[in-house]
Formats: sequence, structure tokens, C-alpha cells
Amino acid sequence: MESRGRKTDFRIPRIGIYTGKGASHSWLWFVEVFERQGFYNLNFLTEMDIVKGGLETVDVLAVSGGDTFSIAEALGPVGAIRLEKFITGGGLYLGSCAGAYLPLNSSKEHLNHFNFVPAKITNLTKTLPESHHMKDKFSTCYGCSFIYHAVREAVEITTTGLPPFGESTTFTAPLYGGPPMTITDPASVLATYTNFTQKTLFLVDRKLAKKTLLGNAAVIREKMGHGHLHLYGPHFEHPHFPKANLFLANAMMHDLPQENIPSEKPEEGMAILSGPERKGFIRDVKRELSNSRIVAAGLEMIPLKWTIGSKVYETGKIRVFLEALWQRMRSLERGGYILVRGGEEDRLVQAALHVTENIRQIKKGWDRKIDTLATATALFNLLNKTSALFLEIYFRGKLFHSIRENRI
Amino acid sequence: MEYLASDKIAIVDLGSRDITEDELDEDLVLDKIGGAGITKHLYDQYASDDPIVLGSGLLTGTLVPGASLGIMTAKSPSTGKISHVPLNLDAGMELKYSGFDYIVIKGNADKPVYLWIHDGILDINDAEALWGKDTWAATDHIRSEMGDDLIQVLGIGQAGENGSDLAQVGINYWQSADRMGFGKLFGEKNLKLMAIRGMGLLEISEPEDFIDDCAELIKTIRTDPATGKQGIAAAAAALGEEDLGDYLGPLTHRHMACFNTPVATNTFVFTDEDPALLKESTVPEPGFLLTDISPLVALKKAGLSAKDAGIILKVCAKYGIDGAAVAELSAKSGLTDPAEIEKRFPDFKGPVESTGKSIFSPWAAFGKDMGENWERRQAVAYILGLHPIWLQMATELTEEKLLDLAGLGTEMEFTLDTLDEVIGDILA
Repeated sequence: MESRGRKTDFRIPRIGIYTGKGASHSWLWFVEVFERQGFYNLNFLTEMDIVKGGLETVDVLAVSGGDTFSIAEALGPVGAIRLEKFITGGGLYLGSCAGAYLPLNSSKEHLNHFNFVPAKITNLTKTLPESHHMKDKFSTCYGCSFIYHAVREAVEITTTGLPPFGESTTFTAPLYGGPPMTITDPASVLATYTNFTQKTLFLVDRKLAKKTLLGNAAVIREKMGHGHLHLYGPHFEHPHFPKANLFLANAMMHDLPQENIPSEKPEEGMAILSGPERKGFIRDVKRELSNSRIVAAGLEMIPLKWTIGSKVYETGKIRVFLEALWQRMRSLERGGYILVRGGEEDRLVQAALHVTENIRQIKKGWDRKIDTLATATALFNLLNKTSALFLEIYFRGKLFHSIRENRI
Repeated sequence: MEYLASDKIAIVDLGSRDITEDELDEDLVLDKIGGAGITKHLYDQYASDDPIVLGSGLLTGTLVPGASLGIMTAKSPSTGKISHVPLNLDAGMELKYSGFDYIVIKGNADKPVYLWIHDGILDINDAEALWGKDTWAATDHIRSEMGDDLIQVLGIGQAGENGSDLAQVGINYWQSADRMGFGKLFGEKNLKLMAIRGMGLLEISEPEDFIDDCAELIKTIRTDPATGKQGIAAAAAALGEEDLGDYLGPLTHRHMACFNTPVATNTFVFTDEDPALLKESTVPEPGFLLTDISPLVALKKAGLSAKDAGIILKVCAKYGIDGAAVAELSAKSGLTDPAEIEKRFPDFKGPVESTGKSIFSPWAAFGKDMGENWERRQAVAYILGLHPIWLQMATELTEEKLLDLAGLGTEMEFTLDTLDEVIGDILA
């Protein structure tokens, strides 16, 4: 795959965002940052989509936080081959936190299919250090070793200023378990961890934190075939860190393959909802989102959390999904295009209804002192799917509107 | 209407199950300000349907001290007048944030229903499973089904279902200020309850100035000794009634204020648990939240202990009958045994003196002359959304100050002349 389309002056990246098994809520941060940049051609891909060739229609694949082991297992060897083909063919892989660990060399089962980048992580140890805070989030087993997380929250990052990314600058970005890395070729390092901030929470002794992070790579850019991988230890896509967001977007645009001008006409089989159908759809989705967020807000007041796979999920994460959709409802209510195909509108309403049922079941479980892990596991899976479907419809309409308005 | 509003009026026809929505026109707000000014206007607009109208004041849910009030307007089955009942505790605030500024309920449902009002969505849901339940069981049921303990429930018990003149629309588990028999109207409409929860936001036109002014008001209020007292006993004293402190003291567990109200006018008494308990009680029903001064005073005067008064008022709340009316009728019949009084609930009938003669609930009037000044102050509270007892205590909250705040919040100009006209309309 030499080229992903004809060369034009307009570069509208077709971005795939991984929402499948193992993905936590942080992929929604990518969504927000891309939307702010005006990138509306967003596609939401599960492990099955990738295995079935879903990467053939995108220029970029963004994989954010979550459970790296689960992601690797879900994608499997076929997914790894698809990903390798995508990158070597010119695609850009954006990995953040768990997404950054995924393509690093590893001998561990499932991860060993993704040995794309010869970088090492500096937070791997045979002997687990003493944890000072957040014991449940502090470390993960890694075969006979452990991955430990030295700090959380905002850390200081300094870019190396290597061309073409301009001069060296310093800003902050949040670290929630992402890797500090080393790599032989210094030209691959786009940014390093240079300091802590007042908001940094130390999970281990400060000296060890310093040794683990400072001076090591926070961002790596690696070429692979015709494409690239950008690996971010911290969440540069976190919407509260605009300088980090801008860096990420600029880096992405630099290594972006050329692409086609999107069509002004809706794709075949696509219908634009209007009249009572549109009104009913908005009301039905809004009703269930409201029902869900009301219960979810109440759940945040109780000390409940679950370990799903190797990740800890607090109740507060439920509303991150719901608010991401809720804040976009207004745009739909104000007249945004709603383009659907194949009964997507009914599926979305049903999915939203199931989300409400699951959240209410968790509340009842808590009240009755019943274990809610299975419901919570199903809920987060459902939240990922529902959010992806909602956003697929939302961004399809937004892209259609933007193309119509700008006649690009 | 851009500021301090959701810009939405719902018209609900329980007969046809049609729900239509109108925008809240800025001209209407300029003309009627809000709260009872607009609920009365909407009642008149739909008068042929004899609706129940709910709404919130222009300042309800804001940082203005005491901005807790919702308003329910309808023709009272007790007085035959278009009357207004204050919705306190957190009900007014939740209504304000529910995504609807006003709700007009007309028609009668052919079978029991309840309204679920949340974030700009209004659903008419089946209530057959709720019909026959007391207000406590109904509130528990709704909160459990919907999964949220902050839902505010305006509902009726068996009194309203059975068409009692004395039926009250309660607020969650507690007695409301409904002395107008609005519970009977709910029953006639087959409307068991309204469940309200809002997670909306209010836009303020001049937020910094608005907040600064509110902060200044709070500062001034804090220095006023009259507003430093807490509890229903202190509120009674402030309204001119005897201080009930000694009477309630041995049972008092805690005081509770309505939303953003500096003075707590409600007191939780433990009738079946040690009031000194500082941890969560394991007794299913340890006591009762006293929200209404008048029946408490009447029961005390009839010679009942505070514990028995609490027990009677609890069963009144569950049954959905006006405690003030029950106290009055019990005294007339010489009844003092709580169990005996409860047995007589189905037989109690109006009219009762405790309904009062005003179009405003006399809930905030005990011991005071309900003259022109009282009615004007009540009208201001009901129009702007201020706690009616609190507004009588807080002399710092002048009409000019409140209208200034309304102006800052909405980018509109409200004059005393407009307020006079709106009050005149309501009282006409």
C-alpha cells in the first residue's frame, strides 16, 4: 500500500479509534481532542473490526488507555498481522498509555505478536517496590516480573525539538500508568520526562520515581515500513492539557498519509433522519442517557469499585462515558444531521436502555449487598459499544455537515 | 428565555397522554416575572381544563439565600379559589433543574399513572403497582426502580386516592405545605405522583456580579442574630408562636434546611430511637421530619406529648392527609390516642379552619396576622422562588434587592411597578 489516496491540498485524516475489548474510558479523550481540532472523520473500531479489515479505511489508528493484555489477547495474531500491514502500508499508529505498551517488544503471550518497536520500559522490576499510595493501581504482574507505576497525575514533559516538530518546549501531561521508555536511536525520542509537578502523586519513593522517569522517553516516534508509530507514555490526548493536545495533533498531521476527499452525498444505504422520526430518536436516546446519568451520579457517592481484567474501575468512570454523549446531545437537538443505516437508530436506543438497566442493577446490588462485578463488566463493555455507536452517528452527521458547508 | 430558565413549558394531557412543549417567552417573563406570576397565568390560559400547574420562581435554585421554592397552583377543592402551595425541601430546586420551567397538567388518566420528569424529558408511566401504597412505600418504590435516592417525589397516599378533601400532596416521606387539598386533585386525575430529578445547569447573565451580590447578602445575613437560630421550634418563635424548644428538645435528633436556606425550618425527631445517636440508626423508621409548625402546635395544645405528635404526623404523611386538619379535627373530637386518630382518617372531612382564607398556604403564617403585608411578602416569595418562612425572617432581602438580582441573572429589567402588577394579578 504505497498511498492511501490521491494527493490534495486538503488533509482530512480518517481516524480509527480503538473501542474494543480492554479499552477503558480514555479513548473518549481522543474523541474530544480530535473534535476540537475539527477532525470529524472518526471511526470506532473493535477488535473484530480490525481483524475483519477495518484498518483499510483509516489513515490513523488511535489506541488509548485500558488493559494492554486484554487488548493484545482480543486482537490476537490476526489482529497483529492486520496492524502490521496497516502501519507498513503507510498508516499511523497512535498509542497512548496501554496503547503505547502494546507494540513494544515483549516475550509475553499475546503481546509477543506485536513486537514492532525495540524500546524498553523502565518501570519493569523483579522486586516490587513499596507502594505509598493507590495500592490497587500501583502495579501489574508481568510474567515473573512487575510493571509498577511510579507516579500519577501531571508530570513535566520536554520535547526534544527534533525536526520537523520545531523547537524544544516544556509543558505538562497526565500519567496514568503509561510507560517511561528507552530506545537506542535518540532520533526516535520526541519528548522526555523532565520533572514532576505540584500535582504529581508519588506512588513510590521519590528517588525511585526520579530514577524511573526523569530523562527517559515520554514519546517515541518509530518508522515502520511506509508508516509510523507514535507512542505516548502520558495521556497527551487528555482534554485538560491543550499544549500536549496540540503537540499530538501536529505530530499526527506530520506523519499523516494523504487521503481521499470525502463524498458530499451520504453513503449508499444511509438515511437522514427528519421530522417525527428524528424527534423521536433524539427523545428516546436523551431519555435513557438522562436515566443512566442520574443513577451514575448517585453511584459516585458510594465506595464501590471493580477490578476488571487487570484494571480498576471506579463508579466515576461510568459518567465519563455518559457525559461524553450527553454534551453532544445538544448539538443533535439544535439540528445536527443524523445519518443512520441498517437500523442503527433502534440499536442505539436499545443499547442505551440496556445501559440504564445495568446501572440500575448495580445500584440495587449495592443496596442489597450483592456482588456486582459481573454486571459492571457487562456495563463497561456496553458503555464502550453504546458510546461508539452514538459517536459514529454523531460524527457522521458532523462530517456530512462540514463537507456540505465547506464544499470540500 | 436564555437565562435562569430551561426555556421549556410542558403541557401534559393525562387523558390523551399527549405531551406538548412550548418555549418560555421572554415577554411573558417581563410581564409576569415568574413563579406564581406565571403559574397563575398558565392556569388562566388552560382554565377550561382546570389544570394543576407547577413551576419554579425566577431565582429558585440559585445562590440567593433561601432560593428553594417551587410552586403548585390549582383550584383548591377546599376553598374553590385558585391557590398556591409552596414546594420546599429540595423539590423546588429539583424542579428548576429538571429541564422544565413550568408544567401544566390537564385531563384525567384512565388508570393510575405517575410522571417521571428528568433533564427535559417528561414521561407518563404506569402506576398501577403504586396505587394503594402509602407515600413512604411509593417513594421507596420509585427511588429503587429509578436507582436514585435524590429523586424528589410529590405524591399522594390513600387519602388522595380515596378523594379526601383533606388529601395532601406530600414531598417524599414528609408533610408538605399543601393545606389546599391538592392531593384530592391528584387522586381525581389518577396521578399517583410526580418523580423529579434534574441535572441541568442554569445560565446566569452576569455571573460574577450575581455571585458577588449573593455573597454580600450572605455575609450580611450571618451578622443578623434573628437568622442564626435553627430548627422548627426557632422558626415557630420567629413566626410569633411560642418556642417549642423545650417540647421537642428531648426528641430532637437534627435540624434540616430546605435547599440553600440559611435557617433550618425542619427538625428530625426520633420517636423510636435514642435521639443522641450519632451513627446510622438500624431501626427501620426511627422518627419523623417535622416540616409543619401548625399541627405540631395544635397537638401540643391538645395535650399530646411530642412523641405522640411525631407519631401522628408520621402516619398523616404516610396516608397523605393534611396534619394541620387532622390536629384540628382530633382536638374537636377530643381524640389524643395516635392509633385512634389514625383509625379515623377515612372519616375526617373538611372544611377546616386551618386551610385559611388566603390563596397562599397558611403554612408560613402561624401566629402572624395574615393581612396585606403578609400576603405581599408571600407573593414575593412565590414569584421569585424564596422560602416563605425565611423571607419573613430575612429583612435584608428587600424587594428592590431581589429584583436587582433577578435583573443580573436574566439581563432583563424588573421594576417595583411590574412586581406590583404581578402581585395584583395573583391576588385579584
